[in-house]
Amino acid sequence: MDLRVIEKEDNALSIEIAGEDHTFMNVLKGALLETDGVAAATYDMNPEQSGGQTDPVLTIKTEDGTDALDALEAGTDRVIEKTDALTEAYESAA
Amino acid sequence: MADYDVTFIERDDTEARFLVRGVTPAFANGIRRAMIADVPTFSIDTVRFIENSSVMFDEQLALRLGLIPLTTPLGGEFDEDDTVTLALDVEGPETAYSGDLVSSDDMVQPAEEDVPIIDLKDGQRLELEADAVLGYGQDHAKHQGGVAVGYRHLQRVEVVGDRDEFRDDEPEIVRGVIETEGGELVPTEEFDNDLTERYPDSEVEVHDVENAFVFDVETDGSFDVDTLVQAGIDSIRGRAEELKEAVQL
Repeated sequence: MDLRVIEKEDNALSIEIAGEDHTFMNVLKGALLETDGVAAATYDMNPEQSGGQTDPVLTIKTEDGTDALDALEAGTDRVIEKTDALTEAYESAA
Repeated sequence: MADYDVTFIERDDTEARFLVRGVTPAFANGIRRAMIADVPTFSIDTVRFIENSSVMFDEQLALRLGLIPLTTPLGGEFDEDDTVTLALDVEGPETAYSGDLVSSDDMVQPAEEDVPIIDLKDGQRLELEADAVLGYGQDHAKHQGGVAVGYRHLQRVEVVGDRDEFRDDEPEIVRGVIETEGGELVPTEEFDNDLTERYPDSEVEVHDVENAFVFDVETDGSFDVDTLVQAGIDSIRGRAEELKEAVQL
């Protein structure tokens, strides 16, 4: 998974995540929006005038006191927690 | 935080229907997409024809061979692009079936024995060697392990009053699974998808239940439903971990 930071400020981050598609990006975006301190999160699969670029670009804006990169890490943690919880729920029902 | 609840409605080796409560639409869709495109299966990719005196071209038979589901162990026994060789030798008059394929690996076998490949007439013969590779549904539909994977909102049916005595006799069609006021889960096929069959004298309202999705999962036989669901979830988890690691650097 190759990352390319496009823009980085304390409360804002724009990062290209190579090789991912809607499957993961939408889950991640959904998890980020549920994460504390995140003001806005979105992704764009084919940024306009990108010259054919189709790797998704994730953009996060955070509230004061939350570093955008930390928020991204918290978002990934949340996805991991969700998958673990679903595995557990599925297994206990199966 | 994430508090999920899974209830099975139907359950079989290759087909299941289950309700998940507490799941967001984004997560539900991620799981669905992962099950279709990101769970690898073995499928024939290259064919070497030794003899083909059948009525079809090599290419046509190769396409048919590619579509035969092969059992795929997902426990880490195989890596992406690993190859398993299968051989076929059938002489007419006879029909060549998927079950006639002889695999070099016990773990990778045709999932169905009775998929017809071609009907061979007297004097026609088919002999070939085929390489199956582990690939992803993302790249070719023949690698899809989940053939019919989807979900619907759970629908809650509430009785709001008596049906008007002189009302038009129109069906009220719903599909999927409904939840009655008593909390019972009923697949709509049980009443012909028509609410007036189940509630002939009542006026009812139907609402989607938020964050409750009924998944329909069917596999092509490459593995069972549990394996597919688990592999779909693990695929999302793996990517989250990979991203987390990349971010920490």
